[in-house]
Amino acid sequence: MEHVDHILIVDDDREIREMVGNYLKKNGLRTTVVADGRQMRSFLESTPVDLIVLDIMMPGDDGLVLCRDIRAGKHKATPVLMLTARNDETDRIIGLEMGADDYLVKPFAARELLARINAVLRRTRMLPPNLVVTETGRLLEFGRWRLDTSARHLLDENGTMVALSGAEYRLLRVFLDHPQRVLNRDQLLNLTQGRDADLFDRSIDLLVSRLRQRLLDDAREPAYIKTVRSEGYVFSLPVQVLGAPA
Amino acid sequence: MKPSLHWPRTLVSRLSLIFLVGLTLAQALSFGVQYYERYETAKNTMLGNLETDVSTSIAILDRLPAEERMSWLKQLDRRNYRYLLDEGSPGAALRDTPIAVTSIKEAIGKDYPMTVTDIPGPIKHFQVHLKLADGSPVTIDVRPSMVPLSPWLPVVLLGQLALMILCAWLAVRIAIRPLTRLAQAVENLDPNTHPVHLDEQGPTEVAHAAIAFNAMQARIAAYLKERMQLLAAISHDLQTPITRMKLRAELMDDCGDKDKLWNDLGEMEHLVREGVAYARSVHGATEESRRTDLDSFLDSLVFDYQDIGKDVQLSGKSAAVIHTRPHALRRVLVNLTDNALKFAGAAQLRVESKDGDSLSVTVMDRGPGIAEEELARVVEPFYRVENSRNRSTGGTGLGLAIAQQLAQALGGTLTLRNREGGGLCAELRLPTRLS
Repeated sequence: MEHVDHILIVDDDREIREMVGNYLKKNGLRTTVVADGRQMRSFLESTPVDLIVLDIMMPGDDGLVLCRDIRAGKHKATPVLMLTARNDETDRIIGLEMGADDYLVKPFAARELLARINAVLRRTRMLPPNLVVTETGRLLEFGRWRLDTSARHLLDENGTMVALSGAEYRLLRVFLDHPQRVLNRDQLLNLTQGRDADLFDRSIDLLVSRLRQRLLDDAREPAYIKTVRSEGYVFSLPVQVLGAPA
Repeated sequence: MKPSLHWPRTLVSRLSLIFLVGLTLAQALSFGVQYYERYETAKNTMLGNLETDVSTSIAILDRLPAEERMSWLKQLDRRNYRYLLDEGSPGAALRDTPIAVTSIKEAIGKDYPMTVTDIPGPIKHFQVHLKLADGSPVTIDVRPSMVPLSPWLPVVLLGQLALMILCAWLAVRIAIRPLTRLAQAVENLDPNTHPVHLDEQGPTEVAHAAIAFNAMQARIAAYLKERMQLLAAISHDLQTPITRMKLRAELMDDCGDKDKLWNDLGEMEHLVREGVAYARSVHGATEESRRTDLDSFLDSLVFDYQDIGKDVQLSGKSAAVIHTRPHALRRVLVNLTDNALKFAGAAQLRVESKDGDSLSVTVMDRGPGIAEEELARVVEPFYRVENSRNRSTGGTGLGLAIAQQLAQALGGTLTLRNREGGGLCAELRLPTRLS
């Protein structure tokens, strides 16, 4: 029998969770809707799911607390997609720090939610990351650089912030999540595609060269991202997970 | 031009002037009165002395043998007058009678008839001529003069003046300082980011003003907070129904109204979001400053636009590392760029270093621009340019207001102007605190 992905939707608004549930069901997913953290926990006791859609603003335990619980419990590998209240940077950062895999700002469109769910599932299925970024260990160190995975920028050895575009960040994360492992262009493209997947048509090669510039990596003799002829690219330095920045 | 006296502008100089003039006048008056009193006393004493002295001296001269008189003259000389044994110098008749002459007349006038003459010359003096009992002439040469002032007196007076100036200056300074502090506090008043708590100590009036200021500041902060909470509450409570409506509209069967409803909901959502963003930008940034590499910051911003197929270009390099709040800066530039994209379909960003201590990031477009008289008003919240496509494109009228607020919060300035050849140029000036 073909596996049908099972999505658990946690939202305190009955209409929203039912409409979302019905929409996802119509699009070939299996869905369960619950109203709060208590119901979520008791459901997960008996049934593992493939992905959890979690609203942040909820009475009782809010989404951030629940997300942290999931990451600390036996379902820590289950991807989480957060529904955040405001389109504010700080909210996003907190959500990602708590271990969410992606987020969506309310009010959202159902088809966007579906696209995100599929993207997260594809990403986590295709190549499970070698590193687990956590709330306390959200700095990745490699060479002379550190990557702040919640604020999504690079820090050089002086602590100066070097910004990354969305696509650059996602590509770098793919490399850092799978260090010293050859990744072909298809894998890179799939893993790097973000929220604007349909519009993203830059070739991976261009993006790699942009990233090398950002890392001040010499394209002819790269120290960070090496080209593997006819195969793809490899991130050649070891990566360390560090504590939160001071 | 006629030189005119101006009432000095600062309170310090006005108060100093009043104090100084008042104290100097009072001092001059008391000195004058004392001087007059001293003069009167001295005069009376002197005249009394003069009467007895002159009658004694004339009596002595009269009784001495004529050949001995000469040797006595020395002992009879006084500071103001002396005796001569001759007819004296020629002179005119006295015009008015000095008080000394009256005294002399009173003392010896009964026994010796006398004439008084005025002697012209650089030193004013007069002579009293009389004849002794033996008929030989005697002249009393009088040189009226006051007892001279002591040489240290002007020094003491100058010292007093200096003391008064010093005291006036000190008093005024003490009185003005709290006022200056208050003015500074009001100037820096920003109840969100760094409330200035004035010291409520000191003289009653100063303490009272400080308490009033602190209370006012707290009240403003409370109002702002309340406004924030209100906006946040409205937006939060709106967000659930909007989400429901959007989902419902999306799941509706296709019909003409579906798209319209969808667009209206999109506008509502946008307005709610921008309203909260504006409230936050006024409320002051809570974000921390950090060292930021400006070139990579702008690169990433432009690439994000290019990656979703927008025509946004960047020119120039700053090679600068600045201390700034990256999210706020990004928001300013995103709002300006979105604005350019909305009206012109394309945006050009340019970064330049200006005179070492500031940087300029300009966002330019070739759109319709903004009428000169409206340039200043477009940064006001909810202001929309008339006759523009703004309304039809669903702008909230908050984008530029947010950009303006955040630019200020970043310590920079935002200037809008029309470009030569058409289009708008928005320039963000940022201080560079290079380190």
